[in-house]
Amino acid sequence: MAEPMLKVSDLHAGYGKIQILSGVNLGAEPDRITAVLGGNGTGKSTLLKAISGLIKPWQGTIEFNGERINGMRPDKIVRLGLSQVTQGKEVYPAMSVEENIRVGAYVHTDRRKIADDFERVYAYFPILKQHRKSHAGILSGGQLQMLCIGRGLMARPRMIMLDEPSSALAPQVILDIFHTLDKIRRDGTTILLVEQNVRMGLLLAHFGYVIKDGVVHMQGEADSLMKDDNVRLSYLGGTLASAEGATL
Amino acid sequence: MFVDLVVIGLSVGIIYGLVALSISLVYSGLDIVHFAHGEMYMLGAFMGLFFFAKTNMAYPFALIFAVVGVALFGIVIERVFYRRLTSGGGGYTVAGMGIIICGFGMAIFLQNLAYIIWDPMPKPFPVDFGQPLMIGDIFYPRVYMWIVIISVSLMVLLHVFMKYTRFGLAMRAVAKNKDIAFLSGINVPLLISITFGIGCGLAAAGGVLIGPINYVEIYMGYFILIKGFAAAVVGGFGNLPGAVIGGLIVGVAEALGSGYLDGDLKDIYAFVILILVLMIKPSGLFGVETKVKA
Repeated sequence: MAEPMLKVSDLHAGYGKIQILSGVNLGAEPDRITAVLGGNGTGKSTLLKAISGLIKPWQGTIEFNGERINGMRPDKIVRLGLSQVTQGKEVYPAMSVEENIRVGAYVHTDRRKIADDFERVYAYFPILKQHRKSHAGILSGGQLQMLCIGRGLMARPRMIMLDEPSSALAPQVILDIFHTLDKIRRDGTTILLVEQNVRMGLLLAHFGYVIKDGVVHMQGEADSLMKDDNVRLSYLGGTLASAEGATL
Repeated sequence: MFVDLVVIGLSVGIIYGLVALSISLVYSGLDIVHFAHGEMYMLGAFMGLFFFAKTNMAYPFALIFAVVGVALFGIVIERVFYRRLTSGGGGYTVAGMGIIICGFGMAIFLQNLAYIIWDPMPKPFPVDFGQPLMIGDIFYPRVYMWIVIISVSLMVLLHVFMKYTRFGLAMRAVAKNKDIAFLSGINVPLLISITFGIGCGLAAAGGVLIGPINYVEIYMGYFILIKGFAAAVVGGFGNLPGAVIGGLIVGVAEALGSGYLDGDLKDIYAFVILILVLMIKPSGLFGVETKVKA
């Protein structure tokens, strides 16, 4: 097992007095896609917010490339090479598509390289180039998600974290986006994916963590999780592999 | 007479527009209405007068120094006082209420500080702009011309900054959504300080501009805050171009009201306009939607 790029140990976090995460341990290895899976309200988004610095962890450590990042301000974490891509709804609707992407380039000042970054994003998502002068508010759900990913890539991160990229999208659109995500991964960006859609998440990822009640409930290589009876029963709506004919 | 009044109303109105713009800018960046903003205008006027009269600086340079001085002062009070409160959330939260009260307190403090330093006597700001212009039979004092030129230049400068620079884009990003800005690597606290500083600097410019046509006095911030606020609301709160147009409308209404109705009621006309606009279009003339900021 390679040294994880991102390592979360015994992470406790929450909002106000409400504890959401109670001791999460996970790691994301370089050049792979790691999925954090689980239903609504299990603490997946809280986990991402704690890693990206939007909320301060109560206890535990978060390390990125061996450096402790818990408690750091979000913009500093981005500068270290770890970017969180928000859900597709979170764009600047009144700004143009191009301006939205440019917001992600804030940490860089070298104009020529930024232009290259734009080309790279447009190569992944040609539809964004077509709409680059339009207001982001007119884009479809899938295009908004692409815009968020593109914006996240502009910081030239070594790792991106995605918050439910499949939410409220049609299956074909999800497949398209996942296809591109795999391409981004092959081009050298490690990915941590948070997904409610367990089936889709496991299709894309190499390794998966299933979160339940604020702790890691199960973990394993994606294909072995796919075959796991508990996962099949609880998340895939399938039948037990061992008990042929059992119905739900 | 009508044309004279409109021309003068527009010239004074553009100062209201400048102040309204600065109030809107601070609101969009920090999600708060800064109630000590009138005092930034007052401090700007006094600083401009100081540089102009005491150091014999040319008027435009006195203006620049006053703007920069007040902008820096604004950044200091934002960092020292407001920062603690905004980090708990602005807008309609309980912390937001704290900021409003803190702003009032700051206004009273600064007024009294000015009282100690400059005493309450109104002071003239004697700038010689030369002979009035005569365009046809319209009599147009040059001071108004300079007010318009300087105000419009500042507005254009702000527009170019916000639209075409890296920091300007980041400022807009922070104004609209702080979490996305943070996750895009933007140093949000720094950008909030810059926004607040620019807002205070613009208000100070308004004070230096109004100086030569009015007196400079320690209570001048009170009425400009209310008029600037009215102008900002008329234009649609948080909408920057709307704030400028709101200022022009308030300025013209005031000039026409004092000319044709009663000059003693000068300060009322802004509110007549405000009430009329809010009755017809509660989100202001150019307000898109009533945005609940949290």
